[in-house]
Amino acid sequence: MALLYGLIWRLLLALVRIKRATVSWLRVRLRTWKGRFWQRTMAALLLPVPVAEFKQKKADANQSSDGDGDGKGAGSRRSRWISDGISLEKLPVHIGLVVAEEELSFTDIANMVVWCMAVGVSYVSVYDHHGIFQKNNSSLQEEIVKQQHHLLGGDDSTFNMELLKNGTDKPQHFVVSCRPIVKVLSPEDGKHSIVQAARKLCHSVEKKEWSSKDISVSVLDVLLRESKNIPDPELVVKFGAVNSTLGFLPWHIRLTEFVSLPSHKNVSYEDLFGALQHYSACHQRLGQ
Amino acid sequence: MSWIREGELNLLEKISANILMAGPMPKHVAFIMDGNRRFALKKKLERHDGHMQGFNKLAETLRWCKHLNIPEVTVYAFSIENFKRSKEEVDGLLDLARQKFERLLEEQENLEKHGVCIRVLGDLNMLPLDLQEVIAKAVVMTKNHNKCFLNVCFAYTSRYEITNAVREMAWGVEQGLIKASDVSEALLSECLYSSNSPNPDLLIRTSGEVRLSDFLLWQTSHSCLVFQSVLWPEYSFWNLCEAIVQYQLNHKSIQKARELHRDEQALQQLEADCACIAEHLQHQGNGKPADAQRRQEALQHYTVAREERVQDFLQALKHKRDTFFTNLCSETVLT
Repeated sequence: MALLYGLIWRLLLALVRIKRATVSWLRVRLRTWKGRFWQRTMAALLLPVPVAEFKQKKADANQSSDGDGDGKGAGSRRSRWISDGISLEKLPVHIGLVVAEEELSFTDIANMVVWCMAVGVSYVSVYDHHGIFQKNNSSLQEEIVKQQHHLLGGDDSTFNMELLKNGTDKPQHFVVSCRPIVKVLSPEDGKHSIVQAARKLCHSVEKKEWSSKDISVSVLDVLLRESKNIPDPELVVKFGAVNSTLGFLPWHIRLTEFVSLPSHKNVSYEDLFGALQHYSACHQRLGQ
Repeated sequence: MSWIREGELNLLEKISANILMAGPMPKHVAFIMDGNRRFALKKKLERHDGHMQGFNKLAETLRWCKHLNIPEVTVYAFSIENFKRSKEEVDGLLDLARQKFERLLEEQENLEKHGVCIRVLGDLNMLPLDLQEVIAKAVVMTKNHNKCFLNVCFAYTSRYEITNAVREMAWGVEQGLIKASDVSEALLSECLYSSNSPNPDLLIRTSGEVRLSDFLLWQTSHSCLVFQSVLWPEYSFWNLCEAIVQYQLNHKSIQKARELHRDEQALQQLEADCACIAEHLQHQGNGKPADAQRRQEALQHYTVAREERVQDFLQALKHKRDTFFTNLCSETVLT
């Protein structure tokens, strides 16, 4: 009997995996087919998906099929992205891009970063739980600059972003400079940072500079922001089939909205915009 | 209504449970029970009734978990942020809690029979004293039960919990029980309110919201997160099965990530210990670099001493926490 249940279980999981792969494949096809008929058919076939995947909104009148090189000039693409950002009711100040896949594509992530900034997001964090992006920080930086030129054309100081390396940040006066900031994070910036802050506080207590009663949420919060100096991410776009934050900034994600995309490979501007639309529509009650 | 629901699963549910249990099952599931008020609005009920239905659904969910051999459940019952709600609603919720915990005390025999251990996690001193006392009695009454565990997060946020853990470690330093250099990820985990539980394998949030709302942020860093759009009072056995299937699909990759994190943690601890040894030998030494064997011996001694210190500190912390609850219980006896 146990064997039978085991077999049925394997079959069940296989069916769910097939359905997930089909949904992914159809999502890409939907983009190209675009016809209302196809959209309705696919919507009917897509049974309730348990994971939080954003719903594909109706095709916007302004949206064209491709965001990155369909013959339109960089200038018109940029103005379209800017107007898309303005059209949203609310835009996150800080977006986290969490890549939960084994193989990483620097080009696709660079595209996402450039789109985020073009749309008006001030801070973009990039994270993978192996710390590969951080270890190859300079390659990622180069790719982002390259994609910036490719997608936005020329060197435009409006999108002259700051690429911050972990641990060597100087305090940013972003009131003065409106340049978007890109941060590359790894698991060390998560729990390990909290532990380092705790150690620092305990050292102060050891030296009798502080008492344990002085330690409050705001004290710890300030300490955790000192080296990072970025606001909490309002939105995290997670790429990959793994439904977990995989250690991404545990302290900072208390109110973060999570949107999942199947993969960062060949991700499109429309995928990102869909996530932003989801964020724009959500309503946080903050306990009330 | 009772916390403990008797009753078996029906045939279809039993078969589905057996199929699921052929695969890896979560040992600890956390629930953000969201959607009571929207349910009340939808059914044209009072908000209070929505919360009552929510409690009933909790009892039913515990029954399903028991049949699915899930021994530990943690629920987000009341956030510190919820104090911002209207006085009427907050009083209503605290009253509901009072009723339910008092009911729990009446079910002592049943709880013993099923071996249910109730723990309440949060900044309990934010609650009215009489509620604290009732909670303390329930916790003390069930603390030796060990078949299944229900952790109720009440007056809780994760940031407060993490801060409290740091404060406890600082207290340990003040008392001379540990050194600041003993602070580690493992030690912080042991100082959280949830230190008696393993990290949740699966976190489920209902009502369609896709955020964590300051719940178990530290503990769920490598958990499977499932967001479901059903409102909590309408949660069904099938919703739970759906979430478990998601857990099973993610199981291998999350295990891999957890192991990677554990290895990194071990490495960081080793590096920290070596740094302490290096500093110590430098102070002791006479200018000559210590040989590898001496370093190795020093490292072993240091690690053993550190672990002893940490154990003594954790014992003292446990005693402090137990005393908090027993004091509250004896207060009720006196009054």
